[in-house]
Amino acid sequence: MSDTLTQISLPIGGMTCASCVSHVEGALKGLPGTADVVVNLSTNKATLSYDPAKLAVKDMVHAVEDVGYLVMSSEITLDVHGMTCASCVEHVETALKDVPGVQETVVNLGLGTARVRYLPGAVSLSAMKRAVEDAGHKAKERSEGNDALDRERQARDDEIKHQGRNLLIAGIIGIIVMTATFYDMLGPLKAFIPVWLSYKWVIGLLTTPIVFGPGRQFFVNSWRGLKHGVTDMNLLYATGIGAAYGIAVINTLFPKAGFGGEGATFFESAALLATFIILGRWLEALTRGRTSEAIRKLMKLQPKVARVVRNGNEQEIPAEDVEIGDLLVVRPGESIAVDGEVAEGYSAVDESMLTGESLPVEKKRGDAVIGGTINKTGSFKFRATRIGKETALAQIIKLVEDAQASKAPIQKLADWVAGHFILGVHLLAVLVFVFWFFIGYPRFFDPNSSFILSPYKLGTIGVFGFSLLLSVTVLVISCPCAVGLATPSAMMAGTGKGAEFGVLFKGAEAIENTSKLQTIVFDKTGTLTKGQPSVTDVVTAKGLPWIEDQLLRLAAIAEKNSEHPLGEAIVRGAQDRLLGLVEPSSFDSMPGHGVVARAEGTEILLGNRKLMEARSVDFSALMGQAERLEADGKTVMLMALDGEAAGLIAVADTLKEHSVEAVRQLHKLGLEVAMITGDNRRTAEAIARKVGIDRVLAEVLPQDKAEEVKKLQAQGKRVAMVGDGVNDAPALAQADVGMAIGSGTDVAKETGDIILIKDDIRDVVVALEIGKATMRKVKQNLFWAFIYNSMGIPLAAGFFYPFAAVVISPELAGLMMAVSSITVTLNTLLLKGFRPSVGSHKRPHGQGRPQSQLAPASAD
Amino acid sequence: MEHEQLEKDIARKSALIYLPIAVGAALIFLATTSLNGNYPVVARVGGAVWVGLLGLIVAMPLVISAVKKQRQHG
Repeated sequence: MSDTLTQISLPIGGMTCASCVSHVEGALKGLPGTADVVVNLSTNKATLSYDPAKLAVKDMVHAVEDVGYLVMSSEITLDVHGMTCASCVEHVETALKDVPGVQETVVNLGLGTARVRYLPGAVSLSAMKRAVEDAGHKAKERSEGNDALDRERQARDDEIKHQGRNLLIAGIIGIIVMTATFYDMLGPLKAFIPVWLSYKWVIGLLTTPIVFGPGRQFFVNSWRGLKHGVTDMNLLYATGIGAAYGIAVINTLFPKAGFGGEGATFFESAALLATFIILGRWLEALTRGRTSEAIRKLMKLQPKVARVVRNGNEQEIPAEDVEIGDLLVVRPGESIAVDGEVAEGYSAVDESMLTGESLPVEKKRGDAVIGGTINKTGSFKFRATRIGKETALAQIIKLVEDAQASKAPIQKLADWVAGHFILGVHLLAVLVFVFWFFIGYPRFFDPNSSFILSPYKLGTIGVFGFSLLLSVTVLVISCPCAVGLATPSAMMAGTGKGAEFGVLFKGAEAIENTSKLQTIVFDKTGTLTKGQPSVTDVVTAKGLPWIEDQLLRLAAIAEKNSEHPLGEAIVRGAQDRLLGLVEPSSFDSMPGHGVVARAEGTEILLGNRKLMEARSVDFSALMGQAERLEADGKTVMLMALDGEAAGLIAVADTLKEHSVEAVRQLHKLGLEVAMITGDNRRTAEAIARKVGIDRVLAEVLPQDKAEEVKKLQAQGKRVAMVGDGVNDAPALAQADVGMAIGSGTDVAKETGDIILIKDDIRDVVVALEIGKATMRKVKQNLFWAFIYNSMGIPLAAGFFYPFAAVVISPELAGLMMAVSSITVTLNTLLLKGFRPSVGSHKRPHGQGRPQSQLAPASAD
Repeated sequence: MEHEQLEKDIARKSALIYLPIAVGAALIFLATTSLNGNYPVVARVGGAVWVGLLGLIVAMPLVISAVKKQRQHG
């Protein structure tokens, strides 16, 4: 094998036989630079050697896909340490994407993670780690579970402590340096300060530990990045601090060298610049720690111990040792260890920490319980049904983690801008220097002017010193430090806020898209309604001896073996009235018409007009009432006994308790509300009037729902679809935002961008409000992040100097950058106080549920 | 090892490009100061060093990226 060839092993999907093997082999052999191609059907792998100079891994992937097979990828999450800004994010992403075999990578500054989709066999973990190290950072594979929580918290604490220590050292010495620099201006306070503190060489000695101690991180990180062709914000700081310190040292040691002399040393610039930037870093570390609190809170819910009954004895074991099928005991006040089903006992369980449901939920034999929730009143035993990564809590944590690690489109733009900004800033610094050196200084310079917050008159500095300082100030003030934090910190706070209320956003893009919605489409049955029709009216024909209960009983007997929802509703109605049912002696179903049965010597006809016409039963006396019931949106069944019109039975589905309120709130948010259903138009419009729906999409077959969503999108609308995450999956996937409602706790299998755990339709409003609030926060943060730069660059570049003889100093520029980080941090933390305007959390304790409203039974 | 060798090659080739760019920028600055006005030697040399340093910082990542891409596409 040639020295230039690299061996690779690609997992191939879709191969079933030898001819598949030959197709894949042929595709790979046809690429330039390949050799020794071997495809193995039993291992589903293609192994080959290739010349990286002639062929990229992605070319191999395309070649395999072109012949109809897949190269299977895997995902891994890396913990990346040392990222401090948006350009770090861009560089780590670029470094990982450049590794052959890596297909996609998403880096999250706030979480300190890189999620990588890669081809196993084409790239190793060590290669990925090496790439991240080459970009100037450290990486390791992220661990799962409580160990991960501990490690993550430890890493965050270490970083906060590290920057805190740096800040303490730099801050204390910086104050002394500042006091010494402004010694001449202290007036009576001079009596308390030794005069030798103001000597330049003493100030230099005090500044040196700041620059080479806490400030060393900027130089080290810059050099590491530059070596590999990456530039980041550390470089801006390093050049700024280095230049100020360098000039100060020269002016102190060689005052006649021509850089401005002893009157123009800039030690305080170097010291305070370093201090303010470290302050910004410390605040960023604190912010990152706070905004991943949502995950931490969820992880803390996981109990560490469980009480199981084994061999008839109760014993406490670590929760991770529970097995499926174990019988667990829970006492009042204890946490439930894993997901399960109640086997014995009765209690009320507080599920608010996972679902947001404010009232405790009653649990009895056969009911499901969720791991991490708290048993309130009684004791009970339950069988474990899901453990480890399969539990609802684990699934929710994963979903929230994945969402927090994802990137919204707006963030991708911000990261790209920040990443490319650094070079632009250095170019600008060169232009500013050259302009003031050759043109600005001779034309505009005023020897009596000075920097803001600096004691030096600029007259002592000279052309080089003046131009250099403006150039350095431009470098520092252009730094988009807070941009890297602006979007991810708000997104993390938003996803965490959603999780508090049982609204799980599957990604940052879901939040961004939610904020832009114009139309919400609700599936009717099971979303706006409970999905369980019930008998609403029983009308007996005048002059006949039947009473309502007798009519209903006979109808239920006729429908006893029916699987039709309307038939089931009648049977339920009769059972609710405790009417005893017997088996019919005969039964015949006529699709599209109704049923014909015989019971207790009576012939029973139950169905629609078509059935009665076919059997020549005259219903003219009851038609008026039937039509009135239908106009009310109910489904009416005609009933005849022994060939005579006996009465009517009306069935309707029940609206969910908060449907009307939810639609009203959506209107307040400026959204159009639509409903999609298989019902006929008259029935659908009746429910639409009750609920306040703007647009009715009726008589839609289940398989056509996605198409209806597409039609709305074709009208230029941004559409959300709210429905069942499993049955309505195509429509949810088609929508701009799919919301799966009432998923319960099996969130993993739900299609949709947002999972609403509770079956409370008001959570749609909650999701929208959180999405809008989060995006508002993102935009505010970006504004604050960029405003300091936008205002500061003209000032720093000396734009106003010819008019106002005002220019800002490097240390003031550093302070402004720290303030921009503070502003973004504080602004994001305000999201913690956000409360949605609706939702089950707002129900006062003890208040009963509102009365249900009726809706037509569905023909879906 | 192969990866390290590749990195070294890229570093070497890139340095042969960006160093002359940076030095060139510094020399152009120096030459311009000779043509315009009476600048003290310190200002001329100091300015050239600063322009050269910033030129290096601008050129290094651009050149290294370009060389890496060129190696990847052969």
